[in-house]
Parts: sequence; C-alpha cells; structure tokens
Amino acid sequence: METQSVIQIKNLTKIYRDFWGRKKVRALNSLSLDVKKGEVFGLLGPNGSGKTTTMKLLLGLLFPTEGEITVLGKPASDVSKNEWIGYLPEESYLYRFLNAEETLDFYGRLFDMSPQQRKERSNQLIELVGLQNARKRQLKEYSKGMTRRIGLAQALINNPDLILLDEPTSGLDPLGSRDMKDLIVKLKNEGKTVVMCSHLLADVQDVCDRIAILYAGELKELGRVDDLLKEQHETELLTSKLSPEAVADVEAVLAKHNAKLLRHGHPTNSLEDLFLKTVQKSQERPGQRFVPAASEKS
Amino acid sequence: MNFDAKPFLLFSNIENGLMHWLLVFGSFIGVIFAASILISVGIYGVSGPVAVMGRVRQGLHDFLNLSPKRIWAISWLTIIEAVRRKALLVFVVFAFLMMFAGWFLDSDLRADLQVKNAVSFALTTVSWLTIPVLLLLSCWGIPEDIRVRSIHTVVTKPVRRNEIVMGRILGFATIAAAIVAMMGIVGYVWILRQVPNNASLICRVPVYGTLQFLDREGNASDKGLNTGDIWEFRSYIEGGTKASAAYKFPVDAPVDRIKLESRFEAFRTHKGRMGQSLLVRYVLVNPTKDLRVPLDSFEIKEFNLNEQYLERKLSFYDEVRMDKRTIDLFDDVVDQNSLTIEVQCLDSGQYLGMARPDFFIRLPDRPFAIGYFKAVLGIWLLTVFIVSIGVTSSTFVKGPVATLLTFSLLIIGQGFREFMIKLITGVQKGGGPIESWYRLVTHMNDTLELPDNIGIKIMQGIDNVMLGGLWLMQHLIPDLTSFVMAPYVANGFDVPWNLAIFRSLAITIGYLVPCLLVGYYSLTLRELEAK
Ligand SMILES: Nc1ncnc2c1ncn2[C@@H]1O[C@H](COP(=O)(O)OP(=O)(O)OP(=O)(O)O)[C@@H](O)[C@H]1O
Ligand SMILES: [Mg+2]
Repeated sequence: METQSVIQIKNLTKIYRDFWGRKKVRALNSLSLDVKKGEVFGLLGPNGSGKTTTMKLLLGLLFPTEGEITVLGKPASDVSKNEWIGYLPEESYLYRFLNAEETLDFYGRLFDMSPQQRKERSNQLIELVGLQNARKRQLKEYSKGMTRRIGLAQALINNPDLILLDEPTSGLDPLGSRDMKDLIVKLKNEGKTVVMCSHLLADVQDVCDRIAILYAGELKELGRVDDLLKEQHETELLTSKLSPEAVADVEAVLAKHNAKLLRHGHPTNSLEDLFLKTVQKSQERPGQRFVPAASEKS
Repeated sequence: MNFDAKPFLLFSNIENGLMHWLLVFGSFIGVIFAASILISVGIYGVSGPVAVMGRVRQGLHDFLNLSPKRIWAISWLTIIEAVRRKALLVFVVFAFLMMFAGWFLDSDLRADLQVKNAVSFALTTVSWLTIPVLLLLSCWGIPEDIRVRSIHTVVTKPVRRNEIVMGRILGFATIAAAIVAMMGIVGYVWILRQVPNNASLICRVPVYGTLQFLDREGNASDKGLNTGDIWEFRSYIEGGTKASAAYKFPVDAPVDRIKLESRFEAFRTHKGRMGQSLLVRYVLVNPTKDLRVPLDSFEIKEFNLNEQYLERKLSFYDEVRMDKRTIDLFDDVVDQNSLTIEVQCLDSGQYLGMARPDFFIRLPDRPFAIGYFKAVLGIWLLTVFIVSIGVTSSTFVKGPVATLLTFSLLIIGQGFREFMIKLITGVQKGGGPIESWYRLVTHMNDTLELPDNIGIKIMQGIDNVMLGGLWLMQHLIPDLTSFVMAPYVANGFDVPWNLAIFRSLAITIGYLVPCLLVGYYSLTLRELEAK
C-alpha cells in the first residue's frame, strides 16, 4: 500500500516580479512532486535552479504564480501547519542580538510551549548541536558554522514531523556534516519526513531515499537514489586486476553474447555522475523534462 | 496668554463618539472590501470574490484565536532588540539636558512664570526626546526584519501575522512606557528643585460654565464687543451700562463656600481713576425666582488672578424688596443645579474683556504630581498612537517611507486638521466636483437649478460617491491636539480626564483597531521578501 503524501506539488510555477509587476525570472516551471511520509527527499540542482524557491513556496513565504501546494494536508498559506514543521533557511536568518539560549527560548514561545518545556528542549538541542560553550554568547559573535548549528536547533525546537533543510551542511566542518547526516538518519528512523537541498552530492547520496534534480526551474530527474544510480542497460563487473590478455578473453566471451565491453577500469558510478550527466543533457536539450511514470502520477 | 483651557467637550458623550467611530470605521472597511471584491473579479473572475471571502474568514479566525503568549514573545523580542541596540541611551541624553537646563531658564522672571517655564520645559523635553526615538524604532523594525529575512524564521512558526503586528506595537508601547516614566520622574524631581522659594506648584481644578452676553440695552447676544483685536478669543462689555457677561456654572452638592477665580482684561478709552484698576461687580442671579444678588464690587488685578469666596449664607440689600436679607446660596440662588453669575463693569467708558475659561469655580486643589503625571500619561498615549501608525505603515512600505508617512500624519494631526477639513469640505458649494465642472463649463452660477434629466442624476450620483470619499478621508485624519496636556499643567491646572485623557485614549484605541486590521492584511497578502 502506498504511504501517505506529506507534500504534494502540482504544476507549480513561480515567476518573480519586480515592484511594478513586470516579470523578472521564471524560477519554477510547472513542477510536480510528491514527498511521502517518512522519507528523506533531496532536491538537487545547480545554483539558481529553484530549490530555495520551492522550499519557500512550501512554507507559504512566497505565493505560487500557478499550481497547487498541499503540505501536511493543508494549503501552503495556512499558518497552522507550521505547528509540525521545522525550517532551516539557506542562511541562518536569526536575531543577532540574542544569545543561543534566548533564541531557542524565543522560538519555543512561538509554539506556546511552557517555560519548563522550553528550558528542557533548548538544553537538549544546544547539546545536540554542540554549542554548550557558546550558549550565552550573542549570535553576532558566532562563526558561520555555529550560526548554522543554532539555526538547526531552532528548526527542531517543536520536534517537527516535517523538516525542511536548505543546504544543511553548508558551512559545517567535516565533523559537523557527519553529525548532520547522522541526525537526518536519526530523524528518519523516528518516522519524520525530511526534505533537504544540497550541493554536496556525497551527502545526498548517503542519506536521501529519493531525489529530484531541478534545472532552470524544471524537473529533470526524479526517483529513488538506488534506482537512479543503477544503470538499467549496463552490468558492472568488478574483478581483481586483469591482464590485457584476460581483458581480450572477456571481450571475446561478451561478443559471443552480443554484448560489448564499454569501459574498463575503476568503477565510478556515483550521484555526481548522474548529476553532471543530467545537467549536461539539460544544457544540450533544454526542452526535455522529467515526466512521472503513470504509476507514480495519481 | 494664549492658553485656551478648552472647557467644552467636543464629543460630549461616549455613545456619540462611538457611533461616529463606527460610522467612519465601517465606511473605511466597506470601501476596502468593495474595492477588493471588484478588483478580484477583474483579475480572477468568479473565483476572485470566493478567495476574498476566504481571506475574510481566515482573518476573523486569526483575530478570534490570538495567543497572548506568542504576542508577548514578539513584544519581548522587540524590547530586547531596542535595549540591545541601545535605544535607552535617549534617557542619558535627557538626564544630560536636564542637568544643564537650569542655566538657560530665565531666573529674573516673575515666580509663577518661572514655574510655568520649568514645567513646560520638562514636559516638552520628555516628548521631544521620546517621540522621535519611538517613531524611528517602530517604522524600521519590521522592514529591517524583512530585509535581513529574520522574519522568515518567525512566520514559519505558528505565529499569526496579526500577532506580529500586535506584539510589535505592544513591545514599543512598553519601551515608551519605561522611557516616559523614567523621564517623567526625573523631570518631576527637577521641577521641584527649580521652583523659586516664593512660588509654589499648583494644580487647580476648575469648573467652567457657559457664557452669555447682554449688550448695553440688556438684550442677550452670543458675543460682546470687539475692541479691534484680531484674535476674537475675548469679548468685551461696556462699563457703566446694562452690558454684562452671564456665566452659568454647573454645581452639585452644597458646600460651605465656593471659590471663584477670574482673570479679566481691561480695555480703556480714557485714563480713568489714577492708580486704580477697573471696578467690577458680580451679581448672582436666579431667573426663576427673579432674584438678583449684587456682591461687593472689587478692583480687578490686570494680568493676574482675582480670587473671591462665595459663602453659603449671604446677606445683601434687596433693591426690589428694599430691605436687607440673608439667603442661602444653594437653596435660593442655585437654580436647577446651576449657578448664574453676571459680571458687570462699573466704570463707564471702559471695557472689560473675558472669554469662557476666564472665570470659573475653583474646586479644592489636587497635588501637583497628579496633573503632572497625567500630562506624562498623555505623552505616552501619543507615543502609543505614533507607534501603532508607524508599525502599521512599516508593514507595507520600507522604513524611510513609513517614517515620513507617520511623521506627516503627526504634523497634520497637530493642527492642520481644521485646515484640511476646510480644504476638503470647501468643495461643497455649487455641488460636488463634477457638478462644479458642469456649472463652470455651462456658465451656471451655483444658485441656478440644474435641469432634471438622467445625465444630471448620474453626475450627481458620482459626485455623492466622491464627496463620501472626501468625507471619509477627512475623518481619517487624526486630531491629536488633545494629547498635548503640558499647557494645562504649566498654567497650574489639573488635566481634565474627560477632555484630555479619555479623549486621547479613545483616539488611540480608535486608530489602533483599524491599524491592526491593515497591518494583518498587508503582512498576510505580501511576500515577505526584500524587494
Ligand atoms: N527575491 C527574488 N527576486 C527575484 N528573483 C529571485 C528571487 N529569489 C530568487 N530569484 C531567482 O529565482 C531563481 C531560483 O532561485 P533559488 O534561490 O530558488 O535557487 P537555488 O536553487 O536555491 O540556488 P542556490 O543553489 O544558489 O541556492 C534564480 O534565478 C534567482 O535569481
Ligand atoms: Mg538556494
């Protein structure tokens, strides 16, 4: 049985306009997506492809030019859905004159949490993001990574069911990104839904169940990471080092079976390949876009 | 002296004021609603009005389910921000000013004028320092929040947009209260130390009456004579004739004696008696009982106060009955809870000038601090008003524009209102704008009847809509004069509750409600992106 959709996007188009209402940028073009409960969903794409725009539309920070968005069964403009949502913005837009404790306390209040709950939760989160030593310092003194960490803590203050992370690992040190990935996996194990966008494809490959690749506001690729990375028309053999003669022998065997040796060497099939290939293809043939298979549609 | 104590209520009872407000507010909402329905039909067709109604329903829901906790969280943030951004330094500026102000105040003046100067100075300084600071804070808060996008982390929490507006206003109002209270107290102590030894701080509580004139033949008229002064504040009565000024004061429970205080002006046509001032007499009148009780005449003190006491038991020579009698002030003179006193000038050829606030019953004084802190409260109310307008305008325009907008409203409200009203309502002669044009083009003057046809009907219909719009605009302009209470205190009066405090409070609340609506919708309907 198919699991419940947490996010449904139908034919979403977003055109940024200037002050006078003139069209400036078509940031998203007829995008349709579904995110299921309990999965980690990755939004990929080069700079300016519309990832952040998608997130802001999901949160009701921007209004769609066309199309429909349903988040947790409610329209994106409905504020009450925020009760169960956590959002880490692209850059941590926080109040720089507050310290870590005050920041978390403030956001906790916006959820009508009791002082006791707020205290417990912020202690827990400060620990989680490793800011114990900086809890009394104002955010304006924070380094980029520290700001990222408090931003993450802020996103988790309400123990949300749906977490939107805009480039969660940017600015974090290797240890920090490791922790971040562990945390995302942990959230997934708790049954939460995570939507993230990132440029660090290795991170995405590690944690995401499904990904979508955007290019210039259009959906170019969508599917399970395993499936996408599995080349359906190729079979990969991994052997110990072969001598040139052995390679020739293998080729002969393959020829007998109407197959060809395409390449030999170290297998490097990664998300990076897929990403680069998709982007390249999009640049070569701009009109093409991903159309969901019939089974995935309704 | 150009202090007009304004003894008369402009809207005399609360129901009238409320009805008036409901009318203006209702029309305001009605116009906006009608406009949004029309525009939405124009853009989206039939689905437009449905969406508008959805917004209205959502708005109602959001206003009925406010969370005080979240509102206070936003206020708290606002306060902390102001404190950490060192807005309270304004207090240091104030303290500094007050420390050295004594040097610049004239100490050669008459004692009571020195007191007046000191009080004015302290109260003016408090408002001149507080108002700009809060104007800037309130107009820049939300735009800055949008610019650096910190508002994104707030609106993605379950906060409603009206809670943001309310929280901001409440936060700024709290800061204003703290600043104004601190400055008020320092100012008070400073005034106490400025008072010269031979003067004292007073807080008189006047009961004003209505004023009616009788001309030299003894006929009633609304005004006395004009002695050529352009400023028609005071009217004059001619001495040695039947001319008099009849003041009718409201009185309630009987007391043993009543204190009367007056300050009349003399206008002379000849030198008169050397070294003496004009001779004036009060006559108590009970028109129902046909009783006239002349009191002893006295010489007025020019540019100064005349004080008299009216004892409850009065002995006088009754000119009608031709004998001496004793009467009771409350039983015999007071008629239907009002006490009528006629003022007459006894020097023929000289004129005595007075206005309504020049003569009053002086109730027992209150402590000076009461009047003073009421004026401080008035300053705070004004800042709350400014903050509401500032925060609201900052939801749809950027900081500088919001500041300019609020500041203009403040200036207009301080006295240009009358002028604006004349400007707007002056259109009415000869019909509305279109009719005037029609008359102008067809050379019809404004007394001629217009032909009765459908074109004229349509023209007048449009005119009525336009005049309605102008009427609405005129009533959206605030009248902020009642917020300025320093003149009462500086002139040694208590600040009247009805006229100053309640009125200002009503105006503040009257503007706060539409502000919240406008702020809510403009934050809801716009994308919170820096443009
Ligand atoms: N406020 C705005 N006004 C006008 N155009 C905008 C605005 N924000 C984004 N855009 C445009 O919309 C497009 C998509 O931007 P978006 O921020 O969604 O990209 P992104 O995928 O998040 O990029 P990055 O990887 O650099 O974060 C870009 O062309 C960008 O210039
Ligand atoms: Mg982005």
